[in-house]
Amino acid sequence: MPRMLALVAAIDRFTEASGRLLAWLAVAMALLTALVVVLRYGFNIGSIAAQEAITYIHGTLFTLGAAYTLKRDGHVRVDIFYRRFSARAQAWVNGVGSIVFLLPLCAFIFCISWNYVAESWAIRESSPEPGGIPAVFLLKSLLPLMAATLFLQGLAETLRSAAVLMRASE
Amino acid sequence: TGAGREARSAGPGTGAIAGEQAGYHWKIVTTWPKNLPGLGTAPENFARMLGEMSGGRLTARVYGAGEIVPAFEVFDAVSQGVADAGHGAAYYWKGKIPSSVFFTAVPFGMTAQEMNAWLYYGGGMELWREVYAGANIEPYAGGSTGVQMAGWFNRELNSVADLKGLKMRIPGLAGDVFTRAGGTSVRIPGGEIYTSLQTGVIDAAEWVGPYNDLALGLHEVAKYYYYPGWHEPGAMLEFIVNKDSLAALPEDLRAIVKTAARAANQEMLDEFTARNNTALRDLVENHGVQLRRLPDDVLKALFDASEEVLAELVAADPLAARVNASFQDFYGKVRAYHHISEQAFINARDVVLPPERKDP
Amino acid sequence: MSGYIALLMFAAVCLTLMLGYPVAFTLAGTALAFAAGGIIAGVFDASFLSALPGRLFGTVNNATLIAVPLFILMGVILEKSRVAEELLASMARVFGRLRGGLGISVILVGTLLAASTGIVGATVVTMGLLSLPSMLQGGYKPSLAAGTICATGTLGQIIPPSIALVLLGDVLSSAYQQAQLSMNIFNPKTVSVGDLFIGALLPGLLLVALYMVYVLVVAWLKPEQAPPAEQEPVPASELLKGLVPPLLLIAVVLGSILVGAATPTEAAGVGAVGALLLALAKGQMDFSRLREVSRDTMEVTCMVFMILIGAALFSLVFRGFGGEELIHHFFEQLPGGVLGATLVVMLIIFLLGFILDFIEITFVVVPIVGPILLAMGLDPIWLGIMIAINLQTSFLTPPFGFALFYLRGVAPDSLATGAIYRGVIPFIIIQLSVLVALWMWPALATWLPAQLAR
Ligand code: NA
Ligand code: NA
Repeated sequence: MPRMLALVAAIDRFTEASGRLLAWLAVAMALLTALVVVLRYGFNIGSIAAQEAITYIHGTLFTLGAAYTLKRDGHVRVDIFYRRFSARAQAWVNGVGSIVFLLPLCAFIFCISWNYVAESWAIRESSPEPGGIPAVFLLKSLLPLMAATLFLQGLAETLRSAAVLMRASE
Repeated sequence: TGAGREARSAGPGTGAIAGEQAGYHWKIVTTWPKNLPGLGTAPENFARMLGEMSGGRLTARVYGAGEIVPAFEVFDAVSQGVADAGHGAAYYWKGKIPSSVFFTAVPFGMTAQEMNAWLYYGGGMELWREVYAGANIEPYAGGSTGVQMAGWFNRELNSVADLKGLKMRIPGLAGDVFTRAGGTSVRIPGGEIYTSLQTGVIDAAEWVGPYNDLALGLHEVAKYYYYPGWHEPGAMLEFIVNKDSLAALPEDLRAIVKTAARAANQEMLDEFTARNNTALRDLVENHGVQLRRLPDDVLKALFDASEEVLAELVAADPLAARVNASFQDFYGKVRAYHHISEQAFINARDVVLPPERKDP
Repeated sequence: MSGYIALLMFAAVCLTLMLGYPVAFTLAGTALAFAAGGIIAGVFDASFLSALPGRLFGTVNNATLIAVPLFILMGVILEKSRVAEELLASMARVFGRLRGGLGISVILVGTLLAASTGIVGATVVTMGLLSLPSMLQGGYKPSLAAGTICATGTLGQIIPPSIALVLLGDVLSSAYQQAQLSMNIFNPKTVSVGDLFIGALLPGLLLVALYMVYVLVVAWLKPEQAPPAEQEPVPASELLKGLVPPLLLIAVVLGSILVGAATPTEAAGVGAVGALLLALAKGQMDFSRLREVSRDTMEVTCMVFMILIGAALFSLVFRGFGGEELIHHFFEQLPGGVLGATLVVMLIIFLLGFILDFIEITFVVVPIVGPILLAMGLDPIWLGIMIAINLQTSFLTPPFGFALFYLRGVAPDSLATGAIYRGVIPFIIIQLSVLVALWMWPALATWLPAQLAR
């Protein structure tokens, strides 16, 4: 059990640190959007690359931030019964839910997107727009990365629930 | 007018019902919303022809953009066997395969008639197959819109100086050309073109031609309708088929796929030719749209910029260089004869027709 | 027929959602389990699943969904810097002794915000962040507050410009052309996005008016549920200090759209930066608060997007099991007459609205039913507005309406989910009565476009 909790703590630290860093992208995205508007409206300057950069920031924010949200229990639930459950019952829901829903889902997304992303890497897929960002392969890589980070945090949540259940049964 | 109607799809769902006793059942994904007039009817026609010509042994069901995969995922979906076939336009895949643009349209390139001749008799198809071979995809010409319109404008273009600072939604190579010629090309998602033209985020937007543009309602938010479509003189669309799906078919069905594609290819051009002119009349007579021709110096500036853009594209990609060589070689030859045939005749009929029967 | 498995899956997910595991993963996980079972039983074509990466990348690459985090950021900043609270308090004071003044203020602010984007996830969440704390603090009954916010938050779909109406307009326009072609009309009349925008105006404003009437009636009958603002007189200068800056911000957001500086999507970014500047000017923003703001924004954004991703997988599997053919099958057995057909269509769209988002339904259902209904002679603008309001109602309906998920995601734990469910019921009744009114007086949707077309 201590070893298990150490693993949970390590995953938590990773998710927390990366999440705190990623969160700044929200502010960066707003500033860049406002900049695009001002440059275009005020100075007739249009930049396809800047517009695409907003998409890149946005994609990174919501794919890689999902694990952090899971850690903070920010993914919404239909909690009409759940909120009345005991801590033990809630741990059952979370543990079983992870094992039945979340972990297989992440494993599936990771595997099914592997080939899709590899093909993109193989040709170093670029933007279809001239002047766009020539790194579509990186943008696509967010899919398996999302699955991996979410899986990791899902594992931590499963172990945390297991710990609650084991502690309760001691 | 009967022929076009005869070729209409029998409606959604018929393919699936026939498919229950079929030997082969294909999924066709498209870059268009389901049943989009003109562009979206080609895959429906193709699917219907496959079923009819094979006596129901090969049936297909068409999925519009977003149904199985979003529009710009069609190529990957066919390449990786998610779908057996797809319908779209080759230049959408420029980020994957730079030379693909030549198989749809390049600025100041060939007309529909010339494109078909290049593909089928000028070595174009062989090159196209080579270009797509790495993706495990077999291409077929998939219909053409004919010469498109230059687009909808809220500012008049009287000289090349008017391009300066003009904000236009014009994607792809043409957008690059437009920027180099002095304009500003802006990325606007399809769903926001209408509002952006209305409020003035953009001064202009290009779409297809009268038949499709009328349906989108851009005439409600833009004053001037400019021609000619310098950037898409004969936009060629494509059917793409996964090679494994094709290889699984017996020889006669493979021949049917090829022939059905060729028939659907012609079918689309016929439909656009018939419908564009009635739609244009509607736009001008009932909606007060003002038709304008791009001035010569604007066309010249766009042409010079196009030459630059194409030269850079060709310099960066050896395969694009080979395709361009074949394209330009054929273009030069076909132009020589078209100069004294199609073009001379169209000019001649303008000379001889009495004024009241002349076009606007 | 495997189509019935699609129905079974629909029922199963309704049950599994009740367990309380996060909605996004329950949707996706249940669909995945059904797909796996279907593959083993040989009734599911596995290639449907390989379409998932393309669909997910479509979400990453979708340029209009960018409005979601931008809008949320604006909402979080306005909440944390107490600008929203002061705005609503000042507005409520303007209404003086009028009971329900705060509720009216919330509806007004929501209507203004609805005129920017039309993505439900963005507007409901933002309205929740902006006004829920104020309404609870102001002594409003939690269910009334939740209902008002949910309903107002979904207005963005109806009040133009709205991305939902744009997509609906595109699909309807194709369906309308197809309907006319099937009647041998080769130079068809068209319906444009603009027609839908104008057509939505009266029904949208009617909804706003009815929401307000409801709040006023409650406040009048049961003052304790919607108490008036504090009574002691406030100097006009105080009031203006609370009102002017945030109203200026809203003016900048809407203005940036109207003068053509920004698309509705980009306007959300303008609003977020404007809110940031406003908070800085008020001395309510420093590094540590901005850090907190950015983390909250990311958390809520990911909550919204994971639901979209869960719904994307669910609808893919639903389609793989032939759910679409099943819908088509229903339509082939439509009861005779326009009324019966329309009712069935509306019922199916309403039910699908529980699990599929607006975009999915627009692409899945409208192309099937549009040409049939329009060939029966229904007006395309009217049909579009009916579908839009119907979906808006569906998103409000417990227990699975998307708007409820989104509000739950940003509401404090002290607000019971049951209170949210109870609170939206009167608003659902208002929505339904507007649908009935539209049925009886189609001119509500078609009159204004016809006037402007002259
Ligand atoms: Na075009
Ligand atoms: Na809106």
